[in-house]
Amino acid sequence: MRIFLKVWRQATPRDRGGFVDYTAENISPDMSFLEMLDVVNESLIVKGQDPIAFDSDCREGICGTCGFLVGGVPHGPDPGTSVCQLHMRRFKDDDRLVLEPWRARAFPVLKDLVVDRSAFDRIIQAGGYTSVNVGGAQDANLILVAKTASDKAMDSAACIGCGACVAACKNASAALFTSAKVAHLAFLPQGQPERATRVVAMVERHDAEGFGSCSNEGECEAVCPKEIPITNIAHMNREYLRAMLVTRD
Amino acid sequence: MPSRFRRVLSSSVGTKLLMGLTGAALFVYMLLHLAGNALILAGEDVFNEYSHMLISNPLILPIELGLLAVFLLHVYKAVTMWMSNRAARPVGYLKKELAGHTSRKSLSSSTMIGSGLFILGFVVIHVKQFKFGTFYQVTDSTVRDLYQTEIEVFQNPFWVTVYVLATLLVGLHLRHGFASAFQSLGLDHPLYTRRLTALGVLFALLIGVGLAVIPVWVYFRY
Amino acid sequence: MQLDSKTPGGPLAEKWDRHRFESKLVNPANRRKYTIIIVGTGLAGASAASSLGELGYNVLSFCIQDSPRRAHSIAAQGGINAAKNYQNDGDSIQRLFYDTVKGGDYRSREANVYRLAHLSVNIIDHCVAQGVPFAREYGGLLDNRSFGGAQVSRTFYARGQTGQQLLLGAYQSMMRQVEKGSVKSFSNREMLDVVLIDGQARGIVVRNLNTGAIERYAGHAVLLCTGGYGTAYYLSTNAVNSNVTAAWRAHRRGAFFANPCYTQIHPTCIPVSGTEQSKLTLMSESLRNDGRVWVPRTSGDKRPPKQIPEAERDYYLERRYPSFGNLVPRDVASRNAKAVCDEGRGVGDSGLAVYLDFQDAIERLGDEVIRGRYGNLFDMYSKITDDDPYSVPMRIYPAIHYTMGGLWVDYNLMSTIPGLHVLGEANFADHGANRLGASALMQGLADGYFVIPYTLAHYLGSATLPAVTTDHDAFKASEAAVQERIDLLLSVKGSKTPRQLHRELGGLLWDEVGMARNEAGLRKTLERIPQLRDEFWQNVSVPGPKNNLNKNLEYAGRVADYLEFAEVLTLDALHRQESCGGHFREESQTPDGEALRDDANYSYVAAWEFQEVGKAPHLHKEPLTFEYVKPSQRSYK
Repeated sequence: MRIFLKVWRQATPRDRGGFVDYTAENISPDMSFLEMLDVVNESLIVKGQDPIAFDSDCREGICGTCGFLVGGVPHGPDPGTSVCQLHMRRFKDDDRLVLEPWRARAFPVLKDLVVDRSAFDRIIQAGGYTSVNVGGAQDANLILVAKTASDKAMDSAACIGCGACVAACKNASAALFTSAKVAHLAFLPQGQPERATRVVAMVERHDAEGFGSCSNEGECEAVCPKEIPITNIAHMNREYLRAMLVTRD
Repeated sequence: MPSRFRRVLSSSVGTKLLMGLTGAALFVYMLLHLAGNALILAGEDVFNEYSHMLISNPLILPIELGLLAVFLLHVYKAVTMWMSNRAARPVGYLKKELAGHTSRKSLSSSTMIGSGLFILGFVVIHVKQFKFGTFYQVTDSTVRDLYQTEIEVFQNPFWVTVYVLATLLVGLHLRHGFASAFQSLGLDHPLYTRRLTALGVLFALLIGVGLAVIPVWVYFRY
Repeated sequence: MQLDSKTPGGPLAEKWDRHRFESKLVNPANRRKYTIIIVGTGLAGASAASSLGELGYNVLSFCIQDSPRRAHSIAAQGGINAAKNYQNDGDSIQRLFYDTVKGGDYRSREANVYRLAHLSVNIIDHCVAQGVPFAREYGGLLDNRSFGGAQVSRTFYARGQTGQQLLLGAYQSMMRQVEKGSVKSFSNREMLDVVLIDGQARGIVVRNLNTGAIERYAGHAVLLCTGGYGTAYYLSTNAVNSNVTAAWRAHRRGAFFANPCYTQIHPTCIPVSGTEQSKLTLMSESLRNDGRVWVPRTSGDKRPPKQIPEAERDYYLERRYPSFGNLVPRDVASRNAKAVCDEGRGVGDSGLAVYLDFQDAIERLGDEVIRGRYGNLFDMYSKITDDDPYSVPMRIYPAIHYTMGGLWVDYNLMSTIPGLHVLGEANFADHGANRLGASALMQGLADGYFVIPYTLAHYLGSATLPAVTTDHDAFKASEAAVQERIDLLLSVKGSKTPRQLHRELGGLLWDEVGMARNEAGLRKTLERIPQLRDEFWQNVSVPGPKNNLNKNLEYAGRVADYLEFAEVLTLDALHRQESCGGHFREESQTPDGEALRDDANYSYVAAWEFQEVGKAPHLHKEPLTFEYVKPSQRSYK
């Protein structure tokens, strides 16, 4: 296979950057998309040129490190698939693809396709946990959790924090990311003591980081590699309303 | 730290809650407005009687002011939110495609600010043309002949076009706005969410097309 | 130097309690005066950061990823063991201890393993309190499943994403401490040296991977939680950025490297296809609960699996190991897969694969139940291979997955460098020569949540730690050395990419120091590695700047370290002339091809002391004594 690529190249965070054309030759359909980029990079390195910087780590779709837009869609065209699990058999010979980094004020570009997603850490830091210290826990089976609640919590907790939701959203909102954690803990008895303070703190941090607000379009859900639905966002809104207008702490 | 009240209203989630609440109120108003105006189809007397009943009610002023406040809040929040959303992505994409799959993104959802601003401009003209428009009186009575005003305006094909366009845009706005309000208010359940989305499309058609029928009907009748 | 494991006295079950009582404590008001450097944010690192932060220490946490949440523990799929006996099926701390010592082929320290089994129950309690969404029964109690090497169901799981959920729990706890100010998190930092002052580990030198800046950090103790060295083999189930660099740099500074030849080869991975493959993907061992492993009875049978009648299939694990069947430990399953492929009975285009077939389970339980148990794994499999495992058997083959060897530590998790503690996969401690499934998560969290808070306090309370700053000469010298090495990498300007050289090294190690090893092959490898290393330093190409984000430069530095590390790995495999666990020497097997241990000569931990590059390291032996479990020929028949 041969693929024509138009890739965003930007040497430093302050650099203006621009698109550069590359041709990926001798690509096997069984390669993953990132392996195809590895091949392109190998050819650049041999020529003494700076290879295309892109993030990746586990390459099995769970660490959330990789991600950029392939042909205008975060993580590319396959539903429920991160770009490391996207395979070249999905494309046709001589396809032309534009590769762009996530774009958001809260995700500044560091280099080429690599962006700084530390804003996500700070949202979690604001309240995405239960405040339990090591050592004080009761026996695990003393906390009963209905299977349905546990399953739903797991559905939300499956978020890998890749940032595709932000990239896809026309408002660069991180509502899906934030709500997935809010919902995960709100479903469980362990999350109840901090249920109100958590959602308020996380939403405020979300806003302070410069993410936009949700327009309920569901582009985030459609590109999410874990297919986390925007029902989580409704859940977060509900939790927020309850926290601000019902709870008295 | 700002007061809890201000925090609720200014956060991204709180803003959406306000948008949803004010949107829902405006939606209810639109339903009533459509029902009232549809009386024009029942003839001159019925219509004028209805309009007289409205304006002679002492509660109408506070209700109008309340409606205006809700409307302005909806507009104000929409504009400030749109601006901060724009600021959240200072550099755009060279190529951005619809994600497809389960996405609900539509012409309606992508044009909310545009359709909304158009409607804002339209409402100013609309209120000026009718509420503060030419005052005719029903013969031998103190009742305002709003029917006459309506015929006068809709004799002009230009205004008919503007009104039809505007009401269709209201429909388009509601197409996304109706279901979106429920999502923003956190009202989501497997039982009804999909039905509500379908209902939103129906309401959008009803209000958009229903209101558009009136100027067209008047134009062709007179 | 005499290796002292510092194992406490007394009966096995009381050792840890006794040790905790005898350990020194640090007064709560004094804890914030101690700065603890933690390198790595996987299960061990993140749990250590959160527990030490909670206690009030001043913690500096470093990771090479762009967020602590992305450490490779996140990819662990199957589950975590705990001796809860919630299933009423005969489990106990004693049994988990026994299974783990036996599973490790009697090459681990009894006291460490007992402590691990003992703490396993606390881990589950704590993780549930954190809100980790473990699988539940309808009544609301926790669900369990069984894993290889055990006849009880003691594995707790969160779908096929247990590692992710446990890591997020630890990460969230750590971020809570970041918010409180007791932990400072430094992402995108790669540790390139440990700084020793007066023989004690007092700091680290890191490269800021975003800016290229070399940075110094000083503290009172350093905790290495940097994972294993499986990526030395190039293709492995590890993340592409996992590496041996931090452990290797510590080794070069004096931390002994123990048992590097104990590498775990996981039996159920998606087979290699093509030459540009960058990593191998694991299919959780839990699949062997319902999947049956088979190959055709006759070699060269290339019919599609569905056309091979039942009578012509060889369910070789069930045939050879009737009592454990498909759930034999990983080393046994892997070796058997290799054996049938060597006989020419392997399947797929390459002939290097065996079937893992769910047909019977699907017929028995239905599609939906199987989807509920393994849906995400099946999806992943079909994305990668384009096959549908609901209708066609999976093809699997062993791959490098985990490394039991690591930096030598005593019972307190301290290496041979005072103050340098090593936690999780990076240390050698608890799994002996083979790790049982669902035990890695257990060990990482036991070390971080429940062991290090006590043993570190003891160290801080008993060591003399004069105040030092990063202006100390040792920091300057270390930074200069780090800088020099980076400059050297950039100055070669050769024509081979680091990946080409890494792939070559990995292929060599996989062939000769992989599933089966023999003296001739190991000797050949020991000759070949220095040649490859020379070629690297003469011909590697590392374009791009040093004072900026440069992933190829990071990678080149790691490959340079693999090329040094590979020698001690091979040497250890050569010196250990017995088969045990993941280390299979062809010269040492029973008549029916099982691993044959040599307890008389090799019942010890081999700890290697660095000399210099190209010079053989010194071997130190820590004898292993077994008071409670009598070593016997490991049998799963």
